[in-house]
Amino acid sequence: MKIVDFGQRNCEKVRRYLDSYISNELLVESNLEVLRHIEQCSACSQELETRVRIRTSVQVAARREEVPPGLEQKIRREIRERSPVRLWPSDFSLRWMSAVAALLLISTAIWIGLRSRRELSSKEQDAYIGRISSGLSNILQVGLRDHVHCAVFRKYPKDPPAFAEMAHALGPQYAGLVPLVKTKVPDEYRVILAHRCHVQGRSYVHLVLRSPSSLLSLIITKKNPGESIPAAQLTPVLEAAGVPVYRAAASQFQVAAFETPAYLAFVISDLPEERNLQLAAAIAPSVQGFLNQM
Amino acid sequence: MNRTNIEEFEAAALPHLPDLFRTASRLTGDRGRAEDVVQEVYLQAWKSFHRFTLGTNCRAWLFKILMNTLHHDRRKWFSLRSTQLAENDFEQTLMYAPPVPEKLTDQEVLSALDRVPTEFRAVVLLADVEEFSYKEVAHLLEIPIGTVMSRLSRGRKLLRELLAGVARSYGIGGAPQEGKGA
Repeated sequence: MKIVDFGQRNCEKVRRYLDSYISNELLVESNLEVLRHIEQCSACSQELETRVRIRTSVQVAARREEVPPGLEQKIRREIRERSPVRLWPSDFSLRWMSAVAALLLISTAIWIGLRSRRELSSKEQDAYIGRISSGLSNILQVGLRDHVHCAVFRKYPKDPPAFAEMAHALGPQYAGLVPLVKTKVPDEYRVILAHRCHVQGRSYVHLVLRSPSSLLSLIITKKNPGESIPAAQLTPVLEAAGVPVYRAAASQFQVAAFETPAYLAFVISDLPEERNLQLAAAIAPSVQGFLNQM
Repeated sequence: MNRTNIEEFEAAALPHLPDLFRTASRLTGDRGRAEDVVQEVYLQAWKSFHRFTLGTNCRAWLFKILMNTLHHDRRKWFSLRSTQLAENDFEQTLMYAPPVPEKLTDQEVLSALDRVPTEFRAVVLLADVEEFSYKEVAHLLEIPIGTVMSRLSRGRKLLRELLAGVARSYGIGGAPQEGKGA
């Protein structure tokens, strides 16, 4: 290596600065000193070029390493599974502390229940649903009740059941809902449960879908005599291909609802309001058509 | 502000997953182990998210958790904070600046990097790949800034020496062999 231009002592001094110069950690004066020297010393200029080239090579090579497929989803899933805060209202803040204090006992029961969901009794679930849905019309509580009982308070197997198993659980009458719904939602949503269930004496057809960041239910139940959403004095927020869609929120749950002459249907999730409505609007026309043909 | 919100946490923290994973992977030398470590980092971060101030540097916060997780790893993969090597072990051999090939494959660069002792490699990764400032690296590794500077300097020199080994395999100062170019 030739170090001749400004004397070896000057080159040695500049080279001691080079690492910090490359890292942009020098003070302005030192930076200028290095720059001035580099402009006139080909050996140090070449040395700088080599060091920068190696640094760039390391950056490029290391940054090409890809995250293993599925790791992000695994993290999202683990956060949810180990999270004790899932059921807190999304607008929870300090100023609600006094109100929450009054509900401390019940909240503790829910918290414990979420850590080991099997231990939360049906009565405790009802208490929780009663608490969060007090502002919700009765007809919308019909859907929320099933979502919380059946979708939220549940441990899911690692791998969702095969379609044949879901079809068997739904029965031939409703099995077609699974592929129908699947085509209407984004690919990131997987049907992880499809079955018929009963809550407080009412029968439901229930599909649970999961994306990396949310849990969504499509819930269908036969109307009781005289039951209808307009009769509950609700106003639709939008029409999806002619199907009126209603909405309400209870705690962090967004409830969208629509109906046919014989059925009530609900799309419920912990998604933001607009997103839940979008998905309900995407699903509603096909599901209404499906139910009307039955 | 409700900081227990999962979506808020994911929006702030998950964009940094590639950075955390590649750093963990290069420091453990094992992608499987890095997966476990990074999952642990996110779980710890989620548990303490209520202590994180939104709007501050989430990436640095996550890297701090990563470095602590690696440091306290029960398997004792390595030590990031103390080096068993004498600080000037490399000084003697590295006074000479050896020629490095113009073209290097990613594999050649990473193989050389993986052979740099961990405490130096950690500083090179944090300063050169992740572009943290000296001050931030000092905070992440809980070492003085002067030590960051000396480790970075020696880490880079050692890497250069190892890459020069690639040059020697080509023939000193010679052009890369056919098929070896990047």
